[in-house]
Amino acid sequence: MNAKRRVRYVAQLLDQIGLEGERVAMANISSAMGAQFAELVTDTTERLRELGPSPLKET
Amino acid sequence: MIVGEQKPLDEVMELLGDARKVLLAGCGTCVTVCFAGGEKEVGILASQLRMRSKLEGHAMEVDEVTVQRQCEWEFIDPLASRLKDYDVVLSLACGIGIQGMNERFPSTITLPGVNTTFLGIPEKQGVWEERCQACGDCILAVTAGICPIARCSKQLLNGPCGGSQNGVCEIDPDTPCAWQLIWDRARELGTVDKLLEIQKPKDWSKSRDGGPRKIVREDLVLIDEQTGD
Repeated sequence: MNAKRRVRYVAQLLDQIGLEGERVAMANISSAMGAQFAELVTDTTERLRELGPSPLKET
Repeated sequence: MIVGEQKPLDEVMELLGDARKVLLAGCGTCVTVCFAGGEKEVGILASQLRMRSKLEGHAMEVDEVTVQRQCEWEFIDPLASRLKDYDVVLSLACGIGIQGMNERFPSTITLPGVNTTFLGIPEKQGVWEERCQACGDCILAVTAGICPIARCSKQLLNGPCGGSQNGVCEIDPDTPCAWQLIWDRARELGTVDKLLEIQKPKDWSKSRDGGPRKIVREDLVLIDEQTGD
C-alpha cells in the first residue's frame, strides 16, 4: 500500500520534469500468477516502446 | 514547528530563469521534519532540475547543500566562500531561512523554493495542522490548551458561533470546531467556569497588527568591548 503511493508520487515527479509518469508502474502479482505476469510484462513493454527511449539519453 | 511545502516545479523553473549554476540549499530543522526542504528533498529537487533543464535544452548545474539551520548566522556562515561560484541560491528553508541567507549574503540572490505555510504539528504521518499564529499574547490557559486564534476560523474569543454544527466548522466538514474542542476539554478538566468569563477584545498590537516584532533580552545581549555598548 505504501509502496503503491510512493510509486504514484514518483510518477508525479516524472510528469513535472516532462518525462512520462507512465514510465513507472507497480502491480501486485503472486508467484502463482504466471499468465498475468507475462501479460503485464508484455503490456508494459509495449507501453514503453510507444513512449520511446528516455529523451534524457538523446539530449 | 514551522510547516511549509515545496513550490511547484514550474514555478521554481520560472524563478530560476536563465541561471545555469544553482546551489540548492536545504535546512535541517523544521522543513526537514515536514518533508519540504531537508536533505532528501534537496536531492530529489536537484535531480528534477537537472533533468528538466536538460530536456528544455539548457542544462543547469545544480549543487546540493543542507545546513542544520538557515535561520542562524553560525550555521550559514560556512557557505560564504562557496556562493561566488553560483548564479543563484535556491533555498528550501522556510521564509526565515531564505531571508537569513539574503541578509547575511547581500550580493548573492537567494530565491524561495518553499511556501512557508503555518506553525503547526504533525497530526499524523503525512498530515500537518496549524496550531499557533504567534499572536504574542497566549490565552491557552483560559481555553483548555486549545487555541481559538489559530484553530477557530473566526478567531473568536467567546465561541462557538452559530456555524458550529455537530462539532464541525461551517467552512469545511474536515475542520473541527475549535470551540467545541475547547468546551469538551474544559468539561473534562472541570474548568468550564473559565469559559463563562467574557473575554475582552484581544490586544492585536502584540500580534502582526503592531508591525514587525522584536524581542530584546538585555541579559543575553553581548556587550561590545570596544564601545561598552
